[in-house]
Amino acid sequence: MKNQWIHTFSGTVKVKLTGKGIERFLNQLTRSGVSIWNVKKHGSEAVTFYVNLQDVKKLRIPARDSNCKIRFLERAGGPFFLRKLWTNSGFLAGAFLFFALMMLLSNMVWGIEIKGASPATEHQIRKELDRMGIGVGKLQFSIDSVESIQKELTDKVGALTWIGVELKGTTYHFQAVEKSEPEKAEVIGPRNLVAKRKAAIVKIFVEKGEPVVEVNDYVMPGQLLVSGLYGKEDDLKVVAAEGEILGETWYSTKVELPLKSTFQVYNGNEKKKYSLMIAGKALPVWGFGKPDFSEYELEVTEQPVRFFNWELPVKVEKKTIREREQVTRIYSRKEAIESAKELARKDIKNYLPENAIIKGEKILHQSIENDKVKLTTHFTIIEDIAEGQPIIKETENDRRLKNDGNTTSEPN
Amino acid sequence: MAKKWGQYVRKWMTQKMDLPQDVMMDLPRITMIGHVHIYIENHRGLLAFSDGEVRLMIKGGQLLVKGKAFVIKTILPEEILLEGKIDQVIYINE
Repeated sequence: MKNQWIHTFSGTVKVKLTGKGIERFLNQLTRSGVSIWNVKKHGSEAVTFYVNLQDVKKLRIPARDSNCKIRFLERAGGPFFLRKLWTNSGFLAGAFLFFALMMLLSNMVWGIEIKGASPATEHQIRKELDRMGIGVGKLQFSIDSVESIQKELTDKVGALTWIGVELKGTTYHFQAVEKSEPEKAEVIGPRNLVAKRKAAIVKIFVEKGEPVVEVNDYVMPGQLLVSGLYGKEDDLKVVAAEGEILGETWYSTKVELPLKSTFQVYNGNEKKKYSLMIAGKALPVWGFGKPDFSEYELEVTEQPVRFFNWELPVKVEKKTIREREQVTRIYSRKEAIESAKELARKDIKNYLPENAIIKGEKILHQSIENDKVKLTTHFTIIEDIAEGQPIIKETENDRRLKNDGNTTSEPN
Repeated sequence: MAKKWGQYVRKWMTQKMDLPQDVMMDLPRITMIGHVHIYIENHRGLLAFSDGEVRLMIKGGQLLVKGKAFVIKTILPEEILLEGKIDQVIYINE
């Protein structure tokens, strides 16, 4: 006995047979290898049974010889089902379209919520997001990862100290922390201003306190510049000394620069590849072929495909291949010295506060050895050398003792 | 004479060698499951079929199955599976 399931796939036909000599007809059929099933008698001269769709043609020869008439009643199974499906293909297309649309919509950005930002900052963030291509209706595949959005926003929007970026379903949540401005004035206890480093004083500007040095004085580190104590000897007042003491300071830096150096740089050629990751297997969708870059760097980002709230086991993988090139830079001697000077200037700026000015520079030593330029530069800098030093409360007696001994009190 | 001899030998062989009779003697093998199903192998053709009666040609006679609501589930040149309420199975020897 054959499995009926196979018949269902290939298609079956219900046949009605009427006339005399039905039994003979059935015997003939079975002998010619037609499998029939569910034979049922209806009345005395009618019978119904099922045959395979392929065997329908074989009914013809025995039917010609007998006195029976054949009618086909039902058609069922694979080919007929497919035909039905084709006539009703609108439904299928609709169902497919629905899922495709649902999938598309599930992977769109549907909202952007910004919390904790003032209206001005919020506007700024929204503008920045627009520029980055993040907005309602954008596909999530085209948007960078949450981390890079966070980084870019913190870099670009100055008013932000920190911004938390979170993608919940189809909505981006931004939690902003703004810089609290203006900063509260620090409450400073009584203090003196002392020199940070050895310097020649160029300019003195004192807001509070009593200056004890003069322009062109040479000071050593820790030396008192502005005293927090002022007034007459028996009527001393203690204040937090404040002011700016610009001093000329000296630095020397040593810079070494090879004449010949090689770098890895991106030359701007890049290729993007998109593929669908299904159960660990990649199915390329866009961007085929191997890049003809001899050296390249590969960046891979994966984005899961969502359906409503669920993450499907399908990911969209984006590969960016950037061509890398090796660049060899060869300096002539003159160029090398020039860039070594530049390097020295950059180097010194790292050590200095922002408002320091380079007044002058002088090359102390310069040599080219083993394809390397060695440069020792001496810089003259004008910077604020004042540094606060708290005044430790002294008892009346102590102060008197000290004042007796030395009129200009020297800390340290 | 020769045919009878052949039958005699076959009968003797099946008895002595303990072989199944339906294979050796070309007899129908009838399997019944309660009174619901009847499965007949080695028949020689359908003679009559109606709701209450099925007549089958077998070797050396006919097999008559009586009952109600018969449906032939499968029919092949030498096999038939009948479904219905079986009341009687009768051998008709010629």
